[in-house]
Amino acid sequence: MIEFLWHGRGGQGAFTAARLLGAAASTSKGTYALAFPSFGPERRGAPMRAFTKIADRPIGDRSAVTQADYVIYLDETLLQVPSCFDELKPGGIILVNAQRTWDDDRIISIDADGISQQCLGRPFPNTACLAALTACDLSVSLDQVKDAFCAYMPKKLHKGNVSVMDATVQAMKESLVLSSHHGTLPHADTNDANASSKELCDAGDLDFASDGSASSEQVPTASNAVTHANDARALSSIDTDSPHRRPQIIPQLTTDTIAPVDYAHSTCYKGGHLTVRNAGWRNQRPIIDAAACTGCLQCYLYCPDGTIFKTTDEFRSQASDACAVAIDYDFCKGCGICAHMCKAHAISMVPEKEVTSR
Amino acid sequence: MGINAKTISDNELFFGHKACAGCGGALAVRAALKVLGPQAIAALPAGCMSATGFNFPDLCFANNAMITPFAATASVITGIEAGLRAQGRKPDDATVVGFAGDGGTADIGLQALSGAIDRNDDVLYICYDNEAYMNTGIQKSSLTPFGARTTTTPAGSHHRGCLTQKKNMFEIVAAHGIPYAATASVGYLNDFMRKVKHAASIHGTKYIHVIAPCPTGWGYGVDATVEIAREIVDCGLWYLAEYEQGSFTLNRNPTEFASVEQYLKHQGRFKHLQDEDIASIEQQRDAKWEYMRDCWTAPSRA
Repeated sequence: MIEFLWHGRGGQGAFTAARLLGAAASTSKGTYALAFPSFGPERRGAPMRAFTKIADRPIGDRSAVTQADYVIYLDETLLQVPSCFDELKPGGIILVNAQRTWDDDRIISIDADGISQQCLGRPFPNTACLAALTACDLSVSLDQVKDAFCAYMPKKLHKGNVSVMDATVQAMKESLVLSSHHGTLPHADTNDANASSKELCDAGDLDFASDGSASSEQVPTASNAVTHANDARALSSIDTDSPHRRPQIIPQLTTDTIAPVDYAHSTCYKGGHLTVRNAGWRNQRPIIDAAACTGCLQCYLYCPDGTIFKTTDEFRSQASDACAVAIDYDFCKGCGICAHMCKAHAISMVPEKEVTSR
Repeated sequence: MGINAKTISDNELFFGHKACAGCGGALAVRAALKVLGPQAIAALPAGCMSATGFNFPDLCFANNAMITPFAATASVITGIEAGLRAQGRKPDDATVVGFAGDGGTADIGLQALSGAIDRNDDVLYICYDNEAYMNTGIQKSSLTPFGARTTTTPAGSHHRGCLTQKKNMFEIVAAHGIPYAATASVGYLNDFMRKVKHAASIHGTKYIHVIAPCPTGWGYGVDATVEIAREIVDCGLWYLAEYEQGSFTLNRNPTEFASVEQYLKHQGRFKHLQDEDIASIEQQRDAKWEYMRDCWTAPSRA
């Protein structure tokens, strides 16, 4: 059985892609497929997962995939290096929608947003990632995926998305021509994948750029490798160690013996009230320019999530770049209402990718 | 002292919820609870705010809060209030408040609400109106406005979205002779919070109907929620009003309305509307305002 694990955000089409992949595979005689999503009550923008299982016999195991042959990230801010490898079978491949590359053979970048933007005018990463998979795992062909798309999706989407698929595969082919292969990839359960798919899978550090050219040499230079390593570290530490977070200024309750009416004197609770952060579903973050802030508090008033809080006099006297408000990035969803409400234009929305790679 | 960003409580009582980025309903609940304080007891029926607020083991309400059967919001808050009173445990400053969406109020929960108003139970009922069943994926409710595209009122070559007019919940509630009812918008939070505070000070049943735009269902950018919530008031398709002691008062009486077309065209759900549809929507608006200006107490136009 070949297992696929899709990571995306609500609204990116991860489940649609998972379903289409299964549908495409099942058109081969004697091939069976299963696809299903996993999400909670979270809404658009929240991290979610979807699964595809493909086998040459009926699939009885309907449980979630914990370790997959292919893990696909439709949003690169969801990728946590190195914990992402826990979800990968030995010899497995991680496919990431990203412009940047990682210094690890197991992670393939593809600029799915860029290709989609070029072909459709909007960034829908799912179709490009689906097409890229057909190049990695030839148990499902591009034609099968196209047929499945046309069978299951509304007609008005056909032309644009087929062109996304063609552009993706073209980009991958051109990258292959430029690259040289080394070694053979050990791949779990590839009984129905042919040799060329193995070679393609091995092109681990290729970056498939949207203009169809490989954007970097296959073997990273020393300086490249250093950059990549730093990038990976920055990405993995985004949640807890970001210098933007300033945990010391977010008032926190530390005991669970506090009466329920006293819970809420801060934006960050302990004691069972809240245990899960929301930050994973933001792809842009508000950043306050303290010098421009007039302290009108409109951002604080209109934040639907209550993640902007008034700072204390003590904090303002200590920090030179402090103003009347600060943001709890653990719970900010990056909607941008604060930036919209700020008459002084003191809040700017910065792509999360830029913040994390700094 | 007026209620505004400077004077409201620093407490975040509805926090960490899983609502979409830019959710108007979450903003309404957050603002209302800031006014009502941590002693308030909340009850919510099936809907976005209960689905995104109660995620075991996370509880996004710092207040006591519970989920009710869909039709029973008003009955449950009645029961909570009566139970607290029977036990002699009701703190003086505890408001029992229900937060229901437009479907849970105007369709499914209407008879329970009517019963509570009839009994004049001492509860506050807040309807956060996002104009469709958003929790289940954008189906029309009786508060969906004319022309809006939902999954059950699609727009295409033969259909122009919702064919019915928005149910007049505010006046239906007022017709019960309720002690206090008001309309509000999350675009004007100071007005909304003032009404919540005033409602909490009144004994008997109180009803506040707050417009809470939904970026997912209405089809606009997540950062525009407040702007859209202001536009709907500024263009006259929603009004800020109060009903107390038997008489209606308009809180705002604009000399000139902002453009209805601009408000509609900001949203994907109205994109398909033709000029004649927009003209008919403007006509409805003008008739409504003529009636309100004639029959209700209104401030001089400004």
